[in-house]
Amino acid sequence: MPKTEIRVGGLGGQGVILCGHIIGKAASIYDHKHATLIQAFGPEARGSACSAQVSLDEEPIGYPYVKRPDVLIVMSPDAYFQFVPSLRPGGVLLYESELVALDDRLPEGVTAYGIPATRLAEDLGRRLVLNIVMVGFFVGATGLVSPEAAERAVIHSVPKGTEQLNQRAFRKGYEFGLELTGRGNGGPRHDA
Amino acid sequence: MMLEGYPKQITLRDGSALVIRPIEAKDEEALLAFYRALPEEDRLFLRDDVTSQQWADRFIGSIDYEKVIPLLAEAGGEVIANGTLYRTLHGWTTHVAEIRMAVARSFQRRGLGTAMLRELVRVATSVGAEKMIANVVDNQVGAFRAFEKRGFHREAVLKGHVKDIHGFKRDLVIMSNDVSHIWDAMAAMVADYSPTLGG
Repeated sequence: MPKTEIRVGGLGGQGVILCGHIIGKAASIYDHKHATLIQAFGPEARGSACSAQVSLDEEPIGYPYVKRPDVLIVMSPDAYFQFVPSLRPGGVLLYESELVALDDRLPEGVTAYGIPATRLAEDLGRRLVLNIVMVGFFVGATGLVSPEAAERAVIHSVPKGTEQLNQRAFRKGYEFGLELTGRGNGGPRHDA
Repeated sequence: MMLEGYPKQITLRDGSALVIRPIEAKDEEALLAFYRALPEEDRLFLRDDVTSQQWADRFIGSIDYEKVIPLLAEAGGEVIANGTLYRTLHGWTTHVAEIRMAVARSFQRRGLGTAMLRELVRVATSVGAEKMIANVVDNQVGAFRAFEKRGFHREAVLKGHVKDIHGFKRDLVIMSNDVSHIWDAMAAMVADYSPTLGG
């Protein structure tokens, strides 16, 4: 796997940083690759823009900042507007489909996959786990991290007592990603 | 919704081996036999006439893992306990799950109630419940012990609310276990905010 740069963007309270943290943890600790994480918080506890920059590589990573992400995960319209121009042409956009509307800002050749992660999380019992649905979606759609590693990273990253629901959230997103991209069976079902 | 991790083999402290798993339609006869074998004294505090075929038909027909999540314990091919989690999907108590449980006399005071409760609490948190409640009659000493071991406490008492088999009025205790703190911890974790690293 060549070096892969990922940016996760959204609002405070959506678990953006934890999403990036789990992806990096899965790759580095459980898939035995290398990963870095840069996190940026807004000034407010809720609702301010925040983002995480994650780099994954087979080799040690010398430069952790993400300028042109190969994969962009966005959970809010603001994050989409801010970060989608920097998405590498031919890259992959993963977005919260009931919060983000695609437009002509999308760089050429980008493959976009949407998931109603907030609604799926609410259906599972807690809106709080939408970021874990997105982690599962990322794993299912891209295959950049093994599902076993990611699931272990989820279970070992969330508070005690919440593991079961977070595991269900991960699997919900993972299966959605597999089905939407056709990585599970058949071909892809692109929506952009 | 699928219940994961079942069937689960467990061993009680006296070495008895048994299985806990979700109830399925095929369990109707065994469940009915379990309830018919319970002493009347134990059945009196249950809300329905659990010895009737109509109840069994209705209970099995009502199984919907979104709202009603029933588990059983079985040993030697027989049902020896039933514990069910009831949820409300609409209204002001969607965060609360109610637990109802019955254990065969021969398995009471052997740790089975505690084991069943552990599973029900686990299932409740896995569906996002913030609080669990259960009704216990004041003389059900073993039930109090089992609930208290799983973090429940006596939240309210309804004086003289139920009558026992001899017609004596007894207090009904509402026990509760508030697990909202685990979700507070999750909320803090996803806050994406650091007062020291802001910006």
